[in-house]
Amino acid sequence: MSDSMKTGARKRSWWSRTRTISWREFKHTALTKAFFFGAIVVPMLMMGVLFLIPLMIDREAPPIVGTVAVIDPTGRVAAMAQHTIETEGDTGPFGDLPPEAKAQLDGMNSAMPQTPGAAGMLDAIDARSEIDLTWRVFAEDGKDGAPTLDALKNEVQSGDLIALVVVTALGANARATDAGASGLMMFVPTSASPKHQRLIGRAFENALQDARVQSLGIDDADFERVRNHPAAETFRISPAGDEASEIGEARMLIPAGFMFLMWISVFTSANQLLTSTIEEKSNKVMEVLLAAASPMQLLAGKIFGQALVSVIMLVMYGGAAIAGLTAASMNDLITPTDLVLFTLYFIMAYFMIATLMVAIGSAVSDLREAQSLVGPVMILLIIPIMLWLPISESPNGMLATIASFVPPGMPFIMILRVTAANEPVPLWQIIASLIWGYGAMFGMLWLGARIFRVGVLMQGKPPTPKELLKWAFVR
Amino acid sequence: MSLAIQLEQVSKRFGSVQAVDEVSLELAEGSLCGFLGPNGAGKSTTIRMIMSIISPDSGVLRVLGGSALDNKDRIGYLPEERGLYRKMRVGEFLAYIAKLKGVHPTGLQHRINDWLERVQLPAVAKKRCEELSKGMQQKVQLLSALMHRPDLLILDEPYSGLDPLNSRLITELIREEQRRGATIIFSTHQMHTAEALCDRVLLINKGKKVLDANLSELRAQHDGRGIIVEPAGDPTAYMHAALAAGFAAHAESTEKGLVEIELREGIGGNDALQAALAAGACRTVSLRRLSLEDVFVQLVGGSVAELRGEGGSADV
Repeated sequence: MSDSMKTGARKRSWWSRTRTISWREFKHTALTKAFFFGAIVVPMLMMGVLFLIPLMIDREAPPIVGTVAVIDPTGRVAAMAQHTIETEGDTGPFGDLPPEAKAQLDGMNSAMPQTPGAAGMLDAIDARSEIDLTWRVFAEDGKDGAPTLDALKNEVQSGDLIALVVVTALGANARATDAGASGLMMFVPTSASPKHQRLIGRAFENALQDARVQSLGIDDADFERVRNHPAAETFRISPAGDEASEIGEARMLIPAGFMFLMWISVFTSANQLLTSTIEEKSNKVMEVLLAAASPMQLLAGKIFGQALVSVIMLVMYGGAAIAGLTAASMNDLITPTDLVLFTLYFIMAYFMIATLMVAIGSAVSDLREAQSLVGPVMILLIIPIMLWLPISESPNGMLATIASFVPPGMPFIMILRVTAANEPVPLWQIIASLIWGYGAMFGMLWLGARIFRVGVLMQGKPPTPKELLKWAFVR
Repeated sequence: MSLAIQLEQVSKRFGSVQAVDEVSLELAEGSLCGFLGPNGAGKSTTIRMIMSIISPDSGVLRVLGGSALDNKDRIGYLPEERGLYRKMRVGEFLAYIAKLKGVHPTGLQHRINDWLERVQLPAVAKKRCEELSKGMQQKVQLLSALMHRPDLLILDEPYSGLDPLNSRLITELIREEQRRGATIIFSTHQMHTAEALCDRVLLINKGKKVLDANLSELRAQHDGRGIIVEPAGDPTAYMHAALAAGFAAHAESTEKGLVEIELREGIGGNDALQAALAAGACRTVSLRRLSLEDVFVQLVGGSVAELRGEGGSADV
């Protein structure tokens, strides 16, 4: 028996040594303050801020206090606008939206009754301001004791008036108004709040429009009924027979959610692999490690350790997303098949990207050198993000089908396609992509391991892609 | 006697450079071998092949009776390039390497603290590696090679960057490991250290083995082939007189006023001393003992004088 055996050293199995390396890799990535703050605290804070914004908007809505002067030769527009402002007040920034968009927002608001934060945010953005206005209305400027237009403008300039509105008589006559002529002017001081400008401006626009309608002899109520844009109320019937309000936009977001979740989890860990490999090489600790483990054990240990980090991120963000969907009664949009396929494509994506990054990390001496090799990989990774919208809209189109078979972006594309529920992906394509994808993944693992084995001991100028390939076949 | 390391005609080429050229070596268990050679001679490449970090292009290589890959847990290795995880704590780093080397976690922390105290680094276990001085980092790295009590210890330049006190400490640790029964091979440029420590030296140059001998054999082979004279008069005149007298094959004067004489073949020590006294008035005459450094320079790059460029010299 050797002396080393007597003193407590034991022969370690391949997996045992790999596990030790994995644990260090995981511990020094995930159990650090940087990871805790960067991957957990900051995203949580961002979500918290989203819930806090409505409260802040509500409190910061400034009161509208001051005097508004109006030159209104019609004698009707000013009165209607004054009535609108004092009775209906501000309709919020979404008041500018076309009626169909407002109806959609209202639909989203009512579709999320269980999420007080989101619903509250829409309510708060739509909040009214406190109104305390004094009105000075003149039929014509400079006559019957009324100040001149210039005098009124001076009052605006000095801040005595918060707004001066000038309505033209012709502007209120629908038949006399040229197309494109507004018939309405508004002057405000430089200190005017955009919110207040919008409130007063819109009230006068609506009043002028009503005056034009009246000039045509149409009843206001009839006009309002015509103007009320019909919006289809869509209900989704789940396989269990439950009905829930359908929001098409939200359904497009689900495939994107799957893809981005996979992308962020994979890329975060792969990037960590790149930096930790470069660190080990530049710190010259690589040779110490290679004296204790084979290059394959080192490579496997690093990849498995970071895989654990990736899974933690996936569970954390994915769990939050599923909780959000459940709260919005939309969990039926995710099927167990989606989750199984997501898992299979995630494994494929992780090992492909991780292998690429660790091979690059082993070939260079510092991060600056890595940029020239990481650039092409990043372009390949950005392609799925660029193709998100066209593929979500047409998951079985030619672009989507071709992109589903091009590694290393293929797992991201496939998860977009299979979770876009409007068109099921043909089964043969799913099976073919899994077989081809896993084959490509093992090929990349082999290539990456060969490059890693040579690269970790190389110093000097970074290799060209051709030299990298040459390394793969060095004995 | 069983062999710890056995190399048979091992070669390695990097592109157009023949880094190691058919090197053979047999190192018995328990021996302490100095691995010498100029920069770029192929020492680190040979060591990396012994460690199975890189594979030889040709030849047979056995370490502890098998492959180094199979015996990694029985080998301690201090690479030439010093490396630690900068942000990792010293205790954590040592524990990590020890676990990779198969040391059982039970009592590991206690063992780490003991070792740190032995190298006069108490209370650094909680410090980050980047907080240590270069010498301290080197001692920590040496511990990572020793902690699992290896049967074979391979040290690549263990003394580089160390002050005399720490060099002495490392020497003591190496001797202790040899007394324990470990086989040790270490590369160094410090000839006096190798001379004092090793019982065997291996010298390679340009990838080829140029010397493989026990130190005692080496001394017997090279000792007594020269004398050093301190002339009473002009050293240059004495140098020419010595060459004219016929016992000197080569003579050179040094800046200190000494004349170093290389004896002709067949001239013995006693004859040389008498001839030296006859050649001119002398204050002292002594036999020159070749140091390992002299052997190194002679075998690797010509005569000592050519390299040192000291004084004048003349050949017969």
